[in-house]
Amino acid sequence: MSDPKRLHPIAAVVNALRQLKEMIIPFLIFVVFGSRGTDWDLFYFFGSIGVVLLVLVYGVLAWYRFTYRIEQGELRIEYGLIVRKKRYIPFDRIQSLDLSEGILQRLFGLVKVKVETAGSGGMGLQDGEAVLTAITKQDAQEIHDYLVSIKKSGQSVQGDEETESSDDLLYKISVSELLMLATTSGGVGVVISAVLAFVFQFEEFIPYEQIFDGVEHFVQNGFVFISVVVFLGFLLAWIIALFGTMLKYANFTVRKVDNDLVITRGLLEKRQFTIPLSRIQAVRISENLIRQPLGYASAYVESAGGSALDQESSKVLILPIVKKRKIPGLLKPHLSEYHFRVNISPAPGRAYSRYLLKGWLFTLPIIIAAIWLLRPWGYGALLLLVLSALWSYLNYKDAGWSLDQGMLTFRYRNIVKNTVYMRKNKVQSFSVKESFFQRKKKLATVEAIVKSGHGGAGGKVIDLEKEHVDMMYHWYSHETAE
Amino acid sequence: MTISEPQKRISEKALTVWKISASLYSLVVWALAGGLIAITILFDFPDWIIFAAIAVAAVYSYLFIILLPTLRWKRWRYEVREQEIELQYGVFIIKRTLIPMIRVQHVDTQQGPLLRKYQLSTVTVSTAATIHEIPALDMEEAENLRISISRLARVADEDV
Repeated sequence: MSDPKRLHPIAAVVNALRQLKEMIIPFLIFVVFGSRGTDWDLFYFFGSIGVVLLVLVYGVLAWYRFTYRIEQGELRIEYGLIVRKKRYIPFDRIQSLDLSEGILQRLFGLVKVKVETAGSGGMGLQDGEAVLTAITKQDAQEIHDYLVSIKKSGQSVQGDEETESSDDLLYKISVSELLMLATTSGGVGVVISAVLAFVFQFEEFIPYEQIFDGVEHFVQNGFVFISVVVFLGFLLAWIIALFGTMLKYANFTVRKVDNDLVITRGLLEKRQFTIPLSRIQAVRISENLIRQPLGYASAYVESAGGSALDQESSKVLILPIVKKRKIPGLLKPHLSEYHFRVNISPAPGRAYSRYLLKGWLFTLPIIIAAIWLLRPWGYGALLLLVLSALWSYLNYKDAGWSLDQGMLTFRYRNIVKNTVYMRKNKVQSFSVKESFFQRKKKLATVEAIVKSGHGGAGGKVIDLEKEHVDMMYHWYSHETAE
Repeated sequence: MTISEPQKRISEKALTVWKISASLYSLVVWALAGGLIAITILFDFPDWIIFAAIAVAAVYSYLFIILLPTLRWKRWRYEVREQEIELQYGVFIIKRTLIPMIRVQHVDTQQGPLLRKYQLSTVTVSTAATIHEIPALDMEEAENLRISISRLARVADEDV
């Protein structure tokens, strides 16, 4: 397969469509606002047709110029219309192949292949990656097989003939889990607020008052009618979000193939991620407010590398939703360096007053403002003190840490309760912070940072026993360890 | 179990540099105060504005030129050991950080005109995920740090 190949022609359409999508706002401004009430209507009309045609022609030419081939252990891509560019990627530098199928690709039985290398960004946005927008499944398979054969030959030099490729199913989402995931995801809130924002956007253009006045003649109680409309609106938004999530996460499967985790998901648009196990920097278990009482949680891995802009390739969801107690059983056999049943030591009792005060410090200005501005009812804001105290209690109760067998575990809550498992040799830096008041109470804050994508991620636990913090500091120090 | 704090202080000249640059910044505050006083006199505003402006500028100067740099300098410690770098800094909140040598990716030094005049450089130590700064070291010390780190970084293992 060393002769240059072109992408499937549909790639030209996909690229042109993407270009058009990016242009849509300036284009609308040009057409809608430009031509209003002038004698230039025809000019604008042909102008817009011309622009669309240009984009299409550009798409076709760009497609014609784009070739790829496998030669001398490299993936060689040549492209560029005016400036000719060549990008040669050695196969043993390739970290992962991400396959996805959009609707257009599926119609023709094609896949989109994203090739990721460990290259750090900085020289260009898409540095360290190459995208083949649409190629046939056989071709994608060929590239994949070639990659596997190269990686295998690298391994077999080191030792025995363990070239048998292993393929274990780690997790597959069940229908009930998918439903659970969709109903408890934060996506619902996003859609609702989007709908609300949309409705209020058009307040000036749509004469709501007139509509409702007119309707009031038919419906005796306008208030009931509006409530019903609002309720139906919310219901609709919720259902849309539900379906969105379900389409995205349907068929979510995690497999372990050799030393990679392979994740596939999606119904309309299929996606496949590959994460080499060696690139995993930390494991995070998150429980959001709805899932936690039900005993459900999600698991993520922090992965190094990936492209700078693609958040999804650095914080990878590996278990979308699963009973929390099942997580150790699911992950332990495959992530053998991590052990998930650890004894977490909590923050000491005297730390609670600090959590409490910190919470009140944030709510107090709101309460004062409420009482000041809305005199009789504002006093109701005092309830916030109680809520804040409860919230602080949750934060305090969730703070904890554990050290064992070369592994550091932090548990803390932002809004979501997080438990982060980090191997000592993956932690990039470790810090201890003490304020004047913490010192008086013999408390301290710890923070550990691991690499995630091109930046850092990690964990921070506030107000732990100073003695324990010192213990962790000693444990991390490379001098005292030996 | 208590841990002794890092032994080395940053250069004493750093304090001078900080004080000079803080003085330059406080000139702006004094200029603003001067403007306010001029306006007050021109338009016959109440006198207390003059006193307030002087008081604010004076307190600002005291805090940022004398008190804070001194506290900051007293707190700043660092230690470069065979296998790790340890930093300690902060005025109200004391922060101590450990950076293992094998995690260090590269070391940069830089100096502005003021630092150059006093033969100092700022050293930044970068890991794959974080960046740490030592604000002012003697140039010789900075140079040594860079060399010793690049020597140690060569033995760093591959696993990010």
